[in-house]
Amino acid sequence: MSSDPEMVTLRLFAALRDAVGEREVHLPCAGATVQEMLEQFVDTCAQDVRSFVFDKQGKQWPSLLILINEEPPADRQATRVQPGDVISLLLPLAGG
Amino acid sequence: MSGFTEQQIERYSRHIILSEVGGAGQRKLLEARVLVVGAGGLGSPVGLYLAAAGVGTIGVVDSDVVDLSNLQRQVLHCTSDLGRSKCISAREKMEAVNPDIRVIAHELRLTSENILGIIADYDIVADGSDNFPTRYLVNDACVMAGKPLCHAGILRFEGQATTILPNQGPCYRCLYPEPPPPGLVPSCQQAGVLGATAGVAGLIQATEVLKLILGTGQPLVGRLLLYNGLEMAFREVRVRRHPGCAICGDQPTITELIDYEQFCGLPSNRDPPEETSS
Repeated sequence: MSSDPEMVTLRLFAALRDAVGEREVHLPCAGATVQEMLEQFVDTCAQDVRSFVFDKQGKQWPSLLILINEEPPADRQATRVQPGDVISLLLPLAGG
Repeated sequence: MSGFTEQQIERYSRHIILSEVGGAGQRKLLEARVLVVGAGGLGSPVGLYLAAAGVGTIGVVDSDVVDLSNLQRQVLHCTSDLGRSKCISAREKMEAVNPDIRVIAHELRLTSENILGIIADYDIVADGSDNFPTRYLVNDACVMAGKPLCHAGILRFEGQATTILPNQGPCYRCLYPEPPPPGLVPSCQQAGVLGATAGVAGLIQATEVLKLILGTGQPLVGRLLLYNGLEMAFREVRVRRHPGCAICGDQPTITELIDYEQFCGLPSNRDPPEETSS
């Protein structure tokens, strides 16, 4: 599915993966900005995952670490995702 | 092998034959001073392995007592330690493993007021705390004091680890400028943790501490190591220093330690004191 030219893969970790119930989500949003991709992601999820990604004003939580192909994007709003990109969404773990 | 007793040469023989350690490296370990924050799930493996390795002075910070629910993962403590100070329990076990070393028990909760005075006496800090306010406090204090910080966090079957060399690579805030809003990311108390997850993540920290002391290998700087025990998979992602970081960026906005409870959206610890127990 991720080989489709329009697709990107979102890789989820920890509480976000548990909330979504999937390790990976594939979205047909190549060419979209990171912000648009995240909007599409939360709209696609049946569960309430919006609160993990956005605050009440629709701004990305600073605690969400976004990586594209295991590298930080140049701009976590405006960078455009490319076909086949793997976007990792991470939250910090406090436990010790 | 000057300066070692015969017993020490035997005790550390498996280190000394490693070309990366040798007699000179073992001497560095014996002279090193490391602060372990928390004598819990992460602090247990970190403390035990640093003690066994012969890290000469190890500070342990914890204000809690041993609870029955700790024993599934906090391997420094025994059933007979229930109700005892974790710091004192940790010191006994670590000094029993290796009488060469000295453990300094800091029976307190780290605060903006006391942390800089405590970490000043140490070369390296390992963060095994269990809450966001302490994690940000430890990060900010280490950046301000220029102390290397070996970080790990765990939940359920997962762990994250990175090593922070202030001003040489990203700090914890470069990765996570702010904690998640309260209640979004569960704690181990809420969501559970496989005891062995703490062992895996703690031993990554311990390895990083030992490498930093020895000056060998490639530290986990600018990289966040992700461990998933269910998949038994490690992934590594690159992380960069953030020019806009509030503490280590080009124009830091945090120039002195703040109220970390308030920063994390929790009741301020500078408000009138209110007794809590967990």
